Amino acid sequence: MLQIESLTKHYQTRRGTVRAVEDVSFGIGEGETVALVGESGCGKSTIAKLVLLLERPTSGRVLFEGNDVRRLDRSALRAYRRTVQAVFQDPYSSLNPRMRVGAIIAEPIMAHAQLSRTDLQREIARALDVVGLPQTASRLYPHEFSGGQRQRVAIARALALRPRMIVLDEPVSALDVSIRAQVLNLLADIQREFTLTYLVIAHDLALVEHFSTRVAVIYLGRLVEAGPTREVFAAPRHPYTRALLDAVPIPDPDHPLAVSEQAGEPASALDPPPGCHFHPRCPLALAICRETAPILMGDRHQAACHLLTEEPAR
Amino acid sequence: MRLLQVRDLQTHLHLRRGVLRPVDGVSLDVDEGETLGLVGESGSGKTMTGLSLLRLLPKGAGRIAGGSIQLDGRELTSLSEREMARSVRGRLIAMIAQDPMTSLNPVWSIGTQVMTPMRVHGIESGARLRAAAAEILRRVRIPSAEKRLPDYPHQFSGGQRQRIVTAMAIGSSPRLLIADEPTTALDVTIQAQIIALLRRIQTETGAGIILITHDLGVAASLCHRIAVMYAGRIVEQGPVRSVYRKPAHPYTQALLAAIPRLGAGSDRLTAIPGQPPSLAELPSGCRFAPSCPHRMAVCDTYPPETEIGDDHRAACWLHARPN
Repeated sequence: MLQIESLTKHYQTRRGTVRAVEDVSFGIGEGETVALVGESGCGKSTIAKLVLLLERPTSGRVLFEGNDVRRLDRSALRAYRRTVQAVFQDPYSSLNPRMRVGAIIAEPIMAHAQLSRTDLQREIARALDVVGLPQTASRLYPHEFSGGQRQRVAIARALALRPRMIVLDEPVSALDVSIRAQVLNLLADIQREFTLTYLVIAHDLALVEHFSTRVAVIYLGRLVEAGPTREVFAAPRHPYTRALLDAVPIPDPDHPLAVSEQAGEPASALDPPPGCHFHPRCPLALAICRETAPILMGDRHQAACHLLTEEPAR
Repeated sequence: MRLLQVRDLQTHLHLRRGVLRPVDGVSLDVDEGETLGLVGESGSGKTMTGLSLLRLLPKGAGRIAGGSIQLDGRELTSLSEREMARSVRGRLIAMIAQDPMTSLNPVWSIGTQVMTPMRVHGIESGARLRAAAAEILRRVRIPSAEKRLPDYPHQFSGGQRQRIVTAMAIGSSPRLLIADEPTTALDVTIQAQIIALLRRIQTETGAGIILITHDLGVAASLCHRIAVMYAGRIVEQGPVRSVYRKPAHPYTQALLAAIPRLGAGSDRLTAIPGQPPSLAELPSGCRFAPSCPHRMAVCDTYPPETEIGDDHRAACWLHARPN
């Protein structure tokens, strides 16, 4: 459905070029949930912005059903913007505090279609119903709702245009633990009901494992590992993926974190290390890792690591 | 050795729209060298409990309305503000604040910020102050600590800033550290490093730690005992293993069932229905009753804390014997 080809995004700043996204390629099939994971600043949100056409790539393409989204004509572009919607992290800042919920949901509909008042009301009612909010919600303002309910409003707004794909940028990380499960279950339900495709950006790996079918791990702008979530998490091939998984504190006192205090920090995207970006933090780095960037290898389950060719991974 | 003993702590917030009770009858203990995890959701009162121990409540509005706080047998609630500032706050009890972006002063050098509490509390002075500051930064593993004293907060990474905030807290060798969500703003690999740092600091100093967190994974990795807060009250507390293995309160059970776990596959999560009550409209009985799957008629009365295992207590009518 969506294909990302050699996507690259550089930002020019006074201090030099920030290489936010470097030559990233992956695809998303219809009805699938693909998760982008990585630490802050790794470029995962930039990829989401490129998919949503909020940023222009430096090079590379985003193909939607085979068509380059930057070459779409006006009407096809409008259709794309309708088909691909977004839900952002913070429902406190993503909803206009001065608009009533009904108007918030109506706004994208009115931008794309000329509906009669009754039809518009019917669409708003439908969207509220799908996310489990009462009809009376449409007359209230965002501040009259809790965080979880606000995120439901944001989901209702995304659903108003009957999209086929939703980009979910950290959809529950601003919510309390007990509310997260409600919103995740809602997202799973509407995905099944409307055959939605999700591109989810998340840093919580347990959530990613629970929620996604495929995962792409990004480190300093580069794709380091990708594949079916279950396979990647059960047998990670890249040392970075392994380090990420090892760093997740398990809610079980019999499995305390076994980590060292000094495993380093990500380098800056302004001045990424040569060779494999991860080599300064990698416990298994070889001489070649300092010089040559590894290429992505594998078919279903891909990884970019010299250890895969040089010697068997740990 | 018992370090901290809190009994029936009541904290009131006097607002224009009325009096809120963010901490409503909290009792807890911390031993030397022990980490107590104060776990709960936003608004449950865990941060307010921490601020009450330091008597750092919002000026004019916040007040400790009842109960007792004893540190090493010394009652803190009756101390004057002067005594509190001179000999307790930042000296015997120190806080590792939540967000190093806002808790460090951006226009002061790191050296000044680390030296200030040491100077104020008379721990070091004069020429030795600089060396002591460098030493404390080395202890939290800031590379080239001595050289970096003149640097400003923005010149450090998020993980390093959290280390610096930790250094400021341990500079006066406090007996009790209150760490309020010390890793929440950090990436997972950096969070793991800070967890390892806190473990080492505790082994080295023998301080008691109260870890305030909403993350049950972080709590399991660091804590010896757990206290679960809900709407201003502790609903369950006990040894970490016992609480995670045999959660007794339906809220603790629901919380543990609601989180996705690595390796657990993609089964549907068990959501907690409804949402925590507002502090302005608390139910008279058990505060979790409106969301509780086991609700009974008796839940309209607040349940007593009942011993359900070795040092493990819960406030729930399922475990209490009605008399």
